[in-house]
Amino acid sequence: MFDIAVFLSLISLGYFVGRYLEKRHYHSINTREQALIKVITTNTKRPLGTLGKVNKVELVTGNAVISVDYFKRVAAGLRKLFGGNLTTYETLVDRARREAILRLKESCQGATQIINLRIETSSISQGKSNQIGSVEVLAYATAIYADAPQAGKQATAE
Amino acid sequence: MKYQARLPEHNSNISHEHPLKEFALLLAGLAIIMAALYWALGLAVDYVVPMISPEKEQHWFKTMRIDKGASHWISQDNTISPYDSPIFESLRSCANIEVPLTLWQVDSDQPNAVALPGGDILLFSGLFDHAPSENGLAFILAHELAHFKHRDHLRSIGRGIVLMTVTGFISGDSAALASLLTPAGLATQAQYSQTLESAADALALEILNCHYGHVGGATEFFENMLKEQDSSAIAGIEQLNHYFSSHPETQARIDNIEQLRQQLGFDKGP
Repeated sequence: MFDIAVFLSLISLGYFVGRYLEKRHYHSINTREQALIKVITTNTKRPLGTLGKVNKVELVTGNAVISVDYFKRVAAGLRKLFGGNLTTYETLVDRARREAILRLKESCQGATQIINLRIETSSISQGKSNQIGSVEVLAYATAIYADAPQAGKQATAE
Repeated sequence: MKYQARLPEHNSNISHEHPLKEFALLLAGLAIIMAALYWALGLAVDYVVPMISPEKEQHWFKTMRIDKGASHWISQDNTISPYDSPIFESLRSCANIEVPLTLWQVDSDQPNAVALPGGDILLFSGLFDHAPSENGLAFILAHELAHFKHRDHLRSIGRGIVLMTVTGFISGDSAALASLLTPAGLATQAQYSQTLESAADALALEILNCHYGHVGGATEFFENMLKEQDSSAIAGIEQLNHYFSSHPETQARIDNIEQLRQQLGFDKGP
């Protein structure tokens, strides 16, 4: 009896708290993405269009680690048996990726362009069973701080 | 080509289905598979058990028998001693059990009795408070003899192994999943066990009638248990526990024994 009570409280705690936190995180992600949308961010090797005088170029990184809740873990355990899309973990990866890029952008406010954006992902508890299921996403890029191009020239792709 | 700063309108990287829907679907699928496996293997156990003769059983479980000179059972807290009962041998012959059985008394507050594979029957001393008369105790002894006769101890071991194996195979290394599945299995097993208890009660009445010529005192133990429950337990919790309990609820059991007595036409006794 006691075991079941513990399990049910853990799973509902995971479900309700996990869902609330996820909703809050997505809200934060959406607002911040909207606020930072003006910064041109690409994965190209060269900046888009024409830049004015380049003042500074630097390597910027953003890093996020997100963990699953108890409910998602149990649901994933069930999914593991039957196969198919591991939907409960999709938001985990999506949130980690977007959060990492946001942190990267926030770390270089005032940059004209962010180029060469790369993303790497890893599982912190890789290979160990019954460990915390979490994902780490590292985003790194080159931030360019430049003056506005001289009059008459528009920013266009090469 | 102009660079356009725009966010996607729709997040196609994540599923927009309700997570509980998927969870319920998967859980239901798994429960069905597990129930089917458990049911099939349980039938296999029921098929095999009657083929094991008491002699064969005693031979197989020889190493599991309680040592004649043992003073403790399992833990150091439970002292154990051979229990001398003048009526036991007579009840045993009434039950047509030919192999020798050993009766033990275990010091414990629990009012319980267990038939172990190999031929040891344990009486927990809490029993004696609830069954003070000879007839009351005789019914409990007859009930355990009935379990032995029906090979119920082997069935429950067999089903226990089946349950553990099925749960283990399905949940694999996921402890969380195992804790989700085990209660479901235990509830199923409890349900099965309750039907065995009723069958054992019926045979116990026959044994009692064979020895005394009547079945007086058969419900003494349960009536005393009921009195104690009424004064202590909260009805709601009792009801919930019944779902996981291996024995029928006390009042239902008394009614059942009375019904069986009438069906078998045994004298109620003094």
